[in-house]
Amino acid sequence: MVAELKHEISQNAYIKLVLHALKHKTTAVNGVLLGRVNPQNESVVEIIDSVPLFHSNLALLPPLEIALIMIEEHYGSKGLGIVGYFHANERFDDAELGIVAKNIGDHICRYFPQAAVFLLDNKKLEALPKGKDQSPVMQLYIRDASKNWKLAGPDGGSRLVIKEPAANVVLSDYISSEKWQDVVDFDDHLDDIKMDWLNPELFK
Amino acid sequence: MVSETEETQLNSLENQVDNGGGGAWEYLCLVRKLKVRRSEKVFKYGLSILNDPKKRSALGPEEWTLYEQVAIAALDCQCLDVTKDCIKVLQKKFPESKRVGRLNGMLLEAKGSWSEAEKAYSSLLEDNSLDQVIHKRRVAMAKAQGNISEAIELLNKYLEIFMADHDAWRELADIYVSLQMYKQAAFCYEELILSQPTVPLYHLAYADVLYTLGGLENLQTAKKYYASTIDLTGGKNTRALFGICLCSSAIAQVSKGRNREDKESPELQSLAATALEKDYKQRAAGKLGLLTSALRSMKF
Repeated sequence: MVAELKHEISQNAYIKLVLHALKHKTTAVNGVLLGRVNPQNESVVEIIDSVPLFHSNLALLPPLEIALIMIEEHYGSKGLGIVGYFHANERFDDAELGIVAKNIGDHICRYFPQAAVFLLDNKKLEALPKGKDQSPVMQLYIRDASKNWKLAGPDGGSRLVIKEPAANVVLSDYISSEKWQDVVDFDDHLDDIKMDWLNPELFK
Repeated sequence: MVSETEETQLNSLENQVDNGGGGAWEYLCLVRKLKVRRSEKVFKYGLSILNDPKKRSALGPEEWTLYEQVAIAALDCQCLDVTKDCIKVLQKKFPESKRVGRLNGMLLEAKGSWSEAEKAYSSLLEDNSLDQVIHKRRVAMAKAQGNISEAIELLNKYLEIFMADHDAWRELADIYVSLQMYKQAAFCYEELILSQPTVPLYHLAYADVLYTLGGLENLQTAKKYYASTIDLTGGKNTRALFGICLCSSAIAQVSKGRNREDKESPELQSLAATALEKDYKQRAAGKLGLLTSALRSMKF
């Protein structure tokens, strides 16, 4: 069953992940998206927050398992669950959804079948400051009926929108002020537990 | 690879320079010594020294090392004109230099002129086939072009000759992990542990890879290596402590209903859990509740 869903991502969840990718330009990074199905509209998945996960050894299980347990515990108490997975490839011109991203995506689908995978679109990100594009700098991947990950087409079907239309303007602003330096991910937390992967002060 | 003390020293020096407290040259030397990648800062502070004739001449013969360091940092920051200028200066001082020839190769790489860079490196290798830096540049070029299998092949060939190059083993392990080739990654870490048995990072990485591979034997071995990591780090490594808990939980799961000859002693797991709780209480109290629930969900 392929549901045609609208994935609506909040500005903060969106910006946090892109900034995380910019902080670690030389490696692949990933993160999870937290949210829920819109209680009034089943065909909308609301992505309310995100947690940047790792910038090294994305394909090792132990840190991922710990992260998912803690994240689910924290957000579960707020009625939110993991509804998606974000991935940014190591190389600028690599626009493919790699095996690690697919596998983690599959894992998340076990808990939330309508989960989607979001791949950073490097070319769109590069063009960001020059244009007025309001669309997210991410590509949306959905699992089809045979459980293969497919790029969601621009011609209808599942799509990704940012809740706040001016999000890219805010993002461009943060990029110029190098705000990415303040982003903390789970890797940072495991290296020094004083670092908070919830990033509570990031957008204050 | 940098130790915690070295990193603290580097960061405080960086802060000092950032806040106008001087020490730029010490910072640049430390970056060179530790072989870390801080290209934006190196570019900024190195270039300001080079552009100041008084500061430049105060460096004496180290001036040329700085030109090289700034040239490379400039490449990383995509300021290729600065690199070209640095290379010009170095070429004038050291004509016929292979080291400058290498910089030219790197400039070609940065421009994306892969085949020209390859030609430059090949001809340099003709005169010195054992130039480790150039061999590694070729691996980097393969990787940069997305040719991962070629990168692996080149890196393996390199390691047949230079088997004591720990950074190369680590790079190879990283590549294998990114392709989910965990057995091959494990082999790399085994080599590293054999040659440097007291470096906790290798024990930890090996344990992570074994856990990821799964299966009772691998989990039991992973637990041993998390334990040796804890030993080598005086019990302070958060990842290893978590690793013990994960292993204990996974082992209990896998051996459910099996006749276990050697009963898993729960002491190690409860020691690790206690250590984690103590640490979180002290340094991350806000997350203590999450930790306790997480540990509870890992107990059997």
